[in-house]
Amino acid sequence: MQLKHYSLALLTILVVFFTACQEEEYALPTLEGGLHNDCIKRTLGPNVVGLNLEFAYAMALPKAEGKIISAQVEASIAGAPATYLENRSFSTNGSGVDVPVTVGSPSVNSGTKTEVVFTKDTCAATLRYFYIIPEEARGKTVKFTFSAKASNGQTVSYEMGPYSIAKMDMKLDLVVSDNNNSYISIADMAVYNAATAATNAANIDLVYLYRVITGISFTHALVSPASSPDYLPGITLPSGVNKSAKIWKVWALRDQHLARLQYGIFIDDLDFQELDFTGAPNYAINLRAEAGIWVETADGKYRAYIYINKIDNTKKEMTISIKRYPMQ
Amino acid sequence: MKRYFITFIVITLVTFSWVRCTDFPVDEDGLLITTRGQCYVSNFELLGSDFQTVRTKAAVIDTTAQTINVEVFFGTDLKNVYPQFSLVTDAKLDPKIVGKVDFSDIANPKVYTVVSGNRMVKKPYTVYVTVQAKP
Repeated sequence: MQLKHYSLALLTILVVFFTACQEEEYALPTLEGGLHNDCIKRTLGPNVVGLNLEFAYAMALPKAEGKIISAQVEASIAGAPATYLENRSFSTNGSGVDVPVTVGSPSVNSGTKTEVVFTKDTCAATLRYFYIIPEEARGKTVKFTFSAKASNGQTVSYEMGPYSIAKMDMKLDLVVSDNNNSYISIADMAVYNAATAATNAANIDLVYLYRVITGISFTHALVSPASSPDYLPGITLPSGVNKSAKIWKVWALRDQHLARLQYGIFIDDLDFQELDFTGAPNYAINLRAEAGIWVETADGKYRAYIYINKIDNTKKEMTISIKRYPMQ
Repeated sequence: MKRYFITFIVITLVTFSWVRCTDFPVDEDGLLITTRGQCYVSNFELLGSDFQTVRTKAAVIDTTAQTINVEVFFGTDLKNVYPQFSLVTDAKLDPKIVGKVDFSDIANPKVYTVVSGNRMVKKPYTVYVTVQAKP
């Protein structure tokens, strides 16, 4: 019995030892023949109409087998006219700088397709594709088929997506000032002065004002027209401007689309859907740069995020950027 | 042999359960009940909906009168503020703060009770909020 156990243990040790000592010789990998491709999406965050979706599409085949003659992208929804496929292939040099090499003629858009015809004798390239999101894609999904053709007749393709296109709108760098363009319309995504506000009274959601009041911190404020006069000192509202939007003050929500800063924060459609405005006030005072407000219009039709890019106490103005989501 | 084994297991279990029930009592919130009898608020903060302070200056905490006096900025939305209490070690607060609190009824200040670590001492603190006056 004991002998049997010893034999079994010895055998196990031998097997382990033998396996552990087996060495695999390194061999140079053999080049796989044929045309190959790969693709990555470079843009992050929600896909907003007017912005681009950027991809890097790589294609290659062994030099001996031929050269690339064309690359094409087909989108399920045609991109806006500015959509293009780079005709330059980029490589990154030792300093981390992307160096372009022109490999083909500028891309041509034809319906849903964008194509680059190669003019250089090359067997490998990485082209970037910039799909400018069109209005027709709002609230839908879009997918892409990248393909390449080689001189030996081979073709390859790569599917990307589907990607959801956000419903929200965006408007950047609107300047509101205390004495001039101080009326903000979320519905119109615009700012008005007192005269034009009167003609668009039904759409005015907020009033911008700047006040320095001794003893209290008021400074830059975004206030609903229907708010208490305490928060609208010295303001005579144009006729018919009387809406009461709900407002939540926010700090440090630096959406990258709006702020264009280094923070990787993005407001998406879902954020607007999930907001709860129950009990929200209709004013926000003492606002600072890089702060913002969530707003719901009085009729509940829109929700928006207003980001404060810049404030100027001397000029009594601030620069704002808006993301807006239609609730109905 | 088997009898010894069973006896050993039973003794171990009894020892463990006895130690658990006597040395580490917990209250209904699952918090440790300790021997500490101290019962006071050491710091008080009030945050707005943007999680920034709405205080104009440090809150005045009177541990004898059991009051907290805090002045907030003009325009503070007192219906939607987040109070934060710092308490002495092992103490807890009643009622618990689970989200926004409405402090807008200034005439009827809110009362929070601090319960000591040994759960034997209870001290109600009244929070008096005043809004920075507009000149």
